[in-house]
Amino acid sequence: MLSTNALEQTISKILSQTEKRVVSTLDETLAESQKQLDDMRSELDAEYDKIISDGKKEADKIEKQIVGSSDLEARNQQLLVVGEAVDNVFNEVLEQIAKAPRDKEYSGLLDTLLREAMSVLRSTDVIVYSNQSERDTVQSVLEKFPDAEMASESIDCLGGIQIKSRDGAMTFDNTLDARISRLKPLIRRDIAAKFGVSG
Amino acid sequence: MVAEGRIVWVSGPAVKADGMASAKMYETVTVGEAKLIGEVIRLTGDVAFIQVYESTSGLKPGEPVIGTGNPLSVLLGPGIIGQIYDGIQRPLKELSKVSGSYIGRGIVTTPVDMSKKYHYIPLAKKGDTVGPGAILGTVQETDLIEHSILVPPDHAGGELVEVVSEGDYDLETEIAKIDGQPPLKMYHRWPVRRPRPYKTRYDPTIPLLTGQRVIDTFFPIAKGGTGSIPGAFGTGKTVTLHQIAKWADSQVVIYIGCGERGNEMTEVLVEFPHLKDPRTNKPLMDRTVLVANTSNMPVAAREASIYTGVTIAEYYRDMGKDVVLVADSTSRWAEALREMSGRLEEMPAEEGYPSYLASRLAEFYERAGRVRAEGSPDRDGSVTLVGAVSPSGGDFTEPVTTHTMRFIKTFWALDAKLAYSRHYPSINWMNSYSGYLADIAKWWDSNVSNDWLNVRREAYNVLQREDTLKEIVRLLGPEALPDEEKIILEVARMIKIGILQQNSFDDVDTYCSPEKQYKLLKLLVDFYNHGQKAIKEGTDLVHIRTMAIIGALLKARMEVKDDELAKLDELSVTMQKQFKDLGGRR
Amino acid sequence: MATVGGVEYSKIAEIKGPLVIVDDVENAAFDELVEVETSDNERRLGKVLEVGNGKAIVQVFEGTTGLSISDTSTRFVGKVMEMPVSKEVLGRVFDGLGRPKDNLPDPIADKFLDINGAPMNPEQREYPKDFIQTGVSVIDGMITLVRGQKLPIFSGSGMSHNIVAAQIARQATVIGTQEEFAVVFAAIGVQYSEAEYFRRTLEESGALKRSVLFLNLADDPAIERIITPRVALTVAEYMAFELGMHVLVILTDMTNYAEALREISAAREEVPGRKGYPGYLYTDLSTIYERAGKLVGKTGSVTQVPILSMPSDDITHPIPDLTGYITEGQIVLGRDLFRQGIYPPVNILMSLSRLMKDGIGEGRTREDHGEISNQNYDAYSRAQEVRALAGIVGKAGLTDIDLKYMDTGDIFEKEFLTQDIDENRNLDESLSLLWKTVSSLPRNELTKVKDRYVEKFYQGNDD
Repeated sequence: MLSTNALEQTISKILSQTEKRVVSTLDETLAESQKQLDDMRSELDAEYDKIISDGKKEADKIEKQIVGSSDLEARNQQLLVVGEAVDNVFNEVLEQIAKAPRDKEYSGLLDTLLREAMSVLRSTDVIVYSNQSERDTVQSVLEKFPDAEMASESIDCLGGIQIKSRDGAMTFDNTLDARISRLKPLIRRDIAAKFGVSG
Repeated sequence: MVAEGRIVWVSGPAVKADGMASAKMYETVTVGEAKLIGEVIRLTGDVAFIQVYESTSGLKPGEPVIGTGNPLSVLLGPGIIGQIYDGIQRPLKELSKVSGSYIGRGIVTTPVDMSKKYHYIPLAKKGDTVGPGAILGTVQETDLIEHSILVPPDHAGGELVEVVSEGDYDLETEIAKIDGQPPLKMYHRWPVRRPRPYKTRYDPTIPLLTGQRVIDTFFPIAKGGTGSIPGAFGTGKTVTLHQIAKWADSQVVIYIGCGERGNEMTEVLVEFPHLKDPRTNKPLMDRTVLVANTSNMPVAAREASIYTGVTIAEYYRDMGKDVVLVADSTSRWAEALREMSGRLEEMPAEEGYPSYLASRLAEFYERAGRVRAEGSPDRDGSVTLVGAVSPSGGDFTEPVTTHTMRFIKTFWALDAKLAYSRHYPSINWMNSYSGYLADIAKWWDSNVSNDWLNVRREAYNVLQREDTLKEIVRLLGPEALPDEEKIILEVARMIKIGILQQNSFDDVDTYCSPEKQYKLLKLLVDFYNHGQKAIKEGTDLVHIRTMAIIGALLKARMEVKDDELAKLDELSVTMQKQFKDLGGRR
Repeated sequence: MATVGGVEYSKIAEIKGPLVIVDDVENAAFDELVEVETSDNERRLGKVLEVGNGKAIVQVFEGTTGLSISDTSTRFVGKVMEMPVSKEVLGRVFDGLGRPKDNLPDPIADKFLDINGAPMNPEQREYPKDFIQTGVSVIDGMITLVRGQKLPIFSGSGMSHNIVAAQIARQATVIGTQEEFAVVFAAIGVQYSEAEYFRRTLEESGALKRSVLFLNLADDPAIERIITPRVALTVAEYMAFELGMHVLVILTDMTNYAEALREISAAREEVPGRKGYPGYLYTDLSTIYERAGKLVGKTGSVTQVPILSMPSDDITHPIPDLTGYITEGQIVLGRDLFRQGIYPPVNILMSLSRLMKDGIGEGRTREDHGEISNQNYDAYSRAQEVRALAGIVGKAGLTDIDLKYMDTGDIFEKEFLTQDIDENRNLDESLSLLWKTVSSLPRNELTKVKDRYVEKFYQGNDD
């Protein structure tokens, strides 16, 4: 994973910016779910009194059910909040990447992405796809690969490249989008850990 | 030159590799970057068909396959006893040190601790000429096992030009030297698919005593004999096999868990160190070797496990020991054959099994026997083979059961109906048989009682007659029978409860000495004869049925210990007195 | 497994049944996870069954309906299928492939685990012997369940297996501990109502927050059923051996699983074993059932109660047959008892718990437990014989003692076996009922019980 470093740097930069904001949202919702739980308890007390005459066994059962469900409800709220927070960070990352300058460093990244893709397909005789705005940058990188050819049409992606074998039977997607989505589960865990939520 | 090829195809445990022109049939190879262990089972041109003994998950075409030049072999030497191995003799304890709770892949270990020192006592002296199989010296392997160090059977032998003196040595020490021959160490290797040679073979005439009444008394097996135990699930196959492994009067027990439950092997591992051999009072683990290839472990290693086990058994036989090998279950082994055969796309015979199923079974059971070992000094040993069969749906006409029956002499048929009524061991006395009865009767004559065969025959007659009478009862009810036939039903029931049933979880009943077996049986046969006589004299059956002695007769198997057999003689006296007191009561 | 994956191959040679055969595949591994993309960008999952000579056979879990030769592409992911696990999966509902089905985000994984697991080293297993009190008399008294056991329920269509399993899940405790079981429930091709019954009963007992549900319902893709028990067990193993919980896994219905396996085998044109099921059905089932157990040095345990419906109530059918060879006993439900309205309708004669002997007795349950249980088996089996005989010759043709056995059989079924769906009996109650049953017999008939226990517990009049 040669180009992972660059990605990680970008991500952690953005992380530090968004961390504070997300932590405060998280605190808010935790308080909210706590309140919800408290509400539930008073509801439970009323329920409990009402049925105490119906026998303790039944009461226990309903207590368990209500406590269990409200615990779960609170937990699920928290999961939603964390999930949303992580997604926010993610989208932020994607935006940043889309906005990042297509400079020399970026050409280096493209070169790495191309080499990696070619080694996976075990061929340099390939057709290369990129998005419309990066065609020129990719074209210049391709000078080093005389067998490879730039495709006439473009693809829709944030950046990076996709290559296909000449007969079209094999494709390797090394766009930034694909790479991020491959890494997404791992990144999610790292982001969540920064919010103090472990698995 | 060792073969170096590349994987071209992977499907489950089967792998094809090309560039393998120099590979030999049954050569072991390492497969892939993970260095999995495999065995060549077919060669076509330069393509080798390989069965892989470990999970092939993640293996890719293009990865290397490298030959070892050697066939699949086991290491034979001190340190084997007490071990638990996988199907290709890797010690599971060592594997757990590398891969923890689960079985990892590509782990290389040695089957025994090569650096452990044993106290070696040389027997052969410098200047002696020794042949293949001769004993060079001995070491004490466990409290129970004196382990003879043998000249390997494939070693040419010759004059010993050098021997070490008595002392502590590890396995790699050269303990004796013959000019121009490979060095002699405390261990050697032997290919598992090749039976070890012996000098002569004897007829089996000594019973293998298991302490299980229905086996020893009714359907005995001889030392060096073959037996099979087929049964549907839940019929108590495993418990019966465990009982044999625990109590058989052999010096070494090899227990192969072949495609069976993991917890059953654990049970043996937990239980055996605490159980004492009734003859030596030493822990049973000190004479036991386990080969465990459970159902969820790779299927190809299951095929190999049987051969690994029987080769170890032959090795101890060659020291002059009696060895019992229990294989649970040969059906799972046959299924492994079937699976590989299917992947090889061979033409299937019955139920998809390969056509060579019968010959493979025959080859396996042929490795049983009581023999005079090769080399000096003279010694006799035996390998007794007991194979479980797990017929699908409990149907004894399926291929593995029917083929097995052709090659074994004792057949213990487990019966689901008996098991459902908790009659254990659920060995059906009408469908089982033993081909050794006549051969071993002499042993009982001279060691227990000279009317053993008669008593057994009388008891068996009662059971046989009950079986026919049952048909009538089924149609007409028991009251349709005259008293002299009703008493047959009564005594048959007593034989079933008091003799045939045996509680393996009861401390006393779990093992029954030959003397106790004989006395218990004699008591019931006497009861029958007294009863018939009383009925002839006009006694009403109801008084015989309600005799106080009956409860004691039926519980004697649990209540009377092996060292209190005089109590059985007292019971006999009481019984005769009670019959006398009946005195023709109507 | 190699980390570089993600190559897409779009030369599809053949689609048959649940299989897609891809040509010109250069870089794929056996067992590798595959993403199959349809022409309208729908993504399905699959795995490699066979690879070599430029071809890969891919099994598609969600089925091949709607796939075409020209417009399908397959992406080889470079790893085997994994399940993300963390403590937060408790209380969650997933589909049959382990994807969230409860409108909550993907679990944030603590780990990603290979769903196939790995075989436990038998040397590292701990022999199961902790008695689980289920509160169901017939199970506790005669088919005792222990922690780490795999004990299936063999049932038939329409019988009350789910109610029994749910009762076990609600009531199971280990005597002397306050530890509650976590429940992993995998619905494999069952109807919505059955899965919902289970979910509700867990909710009502407050157990939902320590449960994980995997639902592949009757109208979900059939091939997905190959995966459902595996993802469920992966989560169960994680909770047991990494989080130290005691986990009860309920898999229902394993018959649907085996049918999915048969479908794949047929599509591969393999030589079938019995009744068209593949020859490796035993081995395959064992890779599921053997994932129950306890491990040396780990606190938790995985106990499995798989449920399977026997086609035409036939216990010799390959699915119950091969299951019975792997599991540590079986609880068999009887059609006759069910018709008579008896709950739980357990046919004890065909039922068995192999691990019972080590989980009971002095210091674990009670000293007389094993013997009184055997005596009841014996008595009930004799009662059944007598009933059959009475059907032919009439009661008049029976002896006195036979008639007593008939009574014993009735007491057994009415007082010991029968209990309410939410009746939780403790062990002493269950054992007393066992003694009560055989106390209707004369003392001399109790041949399986030692005299000292007869002295202590026998309640009959001696004659």
